[in-house]
Amino acid sequence: MKKNQLVVQFKLNGRMVSSEVSPTMTMLDLLREKFFLTATKEGCGKGECGACTILLNGLPVNSCLQLAAALSPEDEVTSLEGLVFDPLLKKIQNSFVQEGAVQCGFCTPGMLVSSYAVLKSKKNPSDQDIKEGLAGNICRCTGYMKIMSAVKKAATEE
Amino acid sequence: MNHEIQYFRPNTLKEAASFFSDNPFAYPIAGGTDILVKWKNGGLPQLSHFVDVRKIVPSMIVKENGKVIIGAGCAMNVLALDPFIAGNFPALSSAAWSVGSFQIRNMATIGGNVANASPAGDTIPALLALDANVILGNSAGTRKIPILEFFSGPGKTVLKRGDLIEGFEVKNCQTKGAFLKLGTRASNAISKVSLALSIFESKLGSSEFRIALGAVASTVIRCKKAETILGESSAPFSNEVLNEAMVAVQEISKPIDDIRSAKVYRKKMAGVLLKRALIALRLVSSSVD
Ligand SMILES: Cc1cc2nc3c(=O)[nH]c(=O)nc-3n(C[C@H](O)[C@H](O)[C@H](O)COP(=O)(O)OP(=O)(O)OC[C@H]3O[C@@H](n4cnc5c(N)ncnc54)[C@H](O)[C@@H]3O)c2cc1C
Ligand code: FES
Ligand code: FES
Repeated sequence: MKKNQLVVQFKLNGRMVSSEVSPTMTMLDLLREKFFLTATKEGCGKGECGACTILLNGLPVNSCLQLAAALSPEDEVTSLEGLVFDPLLKKIQNSFVQEGAVQCGFCTPGMLVSSYAVLKSKKNPSDQDIKEGLAGNICRCTGYMKIMSAVKKAATEE
Repeated sequence: MNHEIQYFRPNTLKEAASFFSDNPFAYPIAGGTDILVKWKNGGLPQLSHFVDVRKIVPSMIVKENGKVIIGAGCAMNVLALDPFIAGNFPALSSAAWSVGSFQIRNMATIGGNVANASPAGDTIPALLALDANVILGNSAGTRKIPILEFFSGPGKTVLKRGDLIEGFEVKNCQTKGAFLKLGTRASNAISKVSLALSIFESKLGSSEFRIALGAVASTVIRCKKAETILGESSAPFSNEVLNEAMVAVQEISKPIDDIRSAKVYRKKMAGVLLKRALIALRLVSSSVD
């Protein structure tokens, strides 16, 4: 083991894993560089854009502002890849495509994770609930209207 | 940023305290939303260790002996969505809800917000308006100080090396209140000016007001003059009383010009926020201009 490295063990997308990490590595870099899970994106690196959104113990957080070294076996990290077989995510993905809520796509993984978190916690979210849930996700392309209608559509569809 | 930074997670307050005294450039980290940004921006050139305090700092909201104690590790979303806090301390609940974004609020702690001591830290005016005490712990034990005495300047507090904030204590009672802020956007924007108002009602029908302002001075400040003006009048307040209170709030505001806003605007808006808070609580008629 290289000097100054730590070993962390945690649950990643349903599976117990372990990895060597440097003390200042973020969860974002851990996912991308150690596990090659590249859905999670780095936009700003400072908590402002939401491209790096993951679920930590079920709650959406900015993985660029979480140290990987803090992970322990009780922790469960879910990246977008961990949701691909989830019917709720499938529904959200479909409505994003149908509503044209994806342009360049850079914000999309983060938008999907945040949308998933909104719909997981509320079956019939109000417009305000959706806005609050997505306020931390910035999109340069779509102007948000299509993203809003995609999430609303996913909420109402069986 | 070139030397190697270490990560350390103490299991007890004692262990943390001795670590801090051995390592003068070790810093506590809780949610990480302030300190990691500062570090990434090159703001902590001497940093030697991130000392993760989440295990040793309480994060629960507990009621005991007529007090409510909010653990320093309580995340903003937990605080904002707690029904007891929303019902009894509405100013604090909405201040917590106004922080950052949904993601930020799942990480950001109230202890980190206060320790960071930004004049624009949003839960600070709410805590001032609730007469909160800060509970500090170190290897020698715990002590309490009124939050008004906690800050000594922007980013500066009375915390000494090895001290950690364990929580905040407020009287267990019901208050009415509001928190309002102005930022460039609705989310992820640092306040240009903010105001927290809490009203303690006594059984005899009199009301005590607490008014605190953020981002208009080097620390969050209280406006006792406006508190007295409102406390000595009866609601709904007349235009004269309202104007007097607004002027008091503007006079005590000594804001600066910076990248976020201008001095004159901040001063003026401090008064406007007071009016809006009173309108929201139906203490003045919304037709006042
Ligand atoms: C995108 C973004 C948006 C934001 N929006 C807002 C906003 O709207 N309003 C607002 O007020 N803030 C905002 N912030 C700032 C930040 O999120 C808050 O101040 C937050 O509450 C800090 O808490 P934390 O647990 O993340 O602190 P950390 O970053 O972990 O720590 C902050 C400081 O406090 C010290 N510390 C932490 N815990 C303790 C303790 N228990 N005892 C002693 N010292 C301690 C640390 O050493 C550090 O100096 C924002 C930040 C980001 C990145
Ligand atoms: S990369 Fe994390 S919020 Fe932008
Ligand atoms: S689709 Fe391009 S940033 Fe959102």
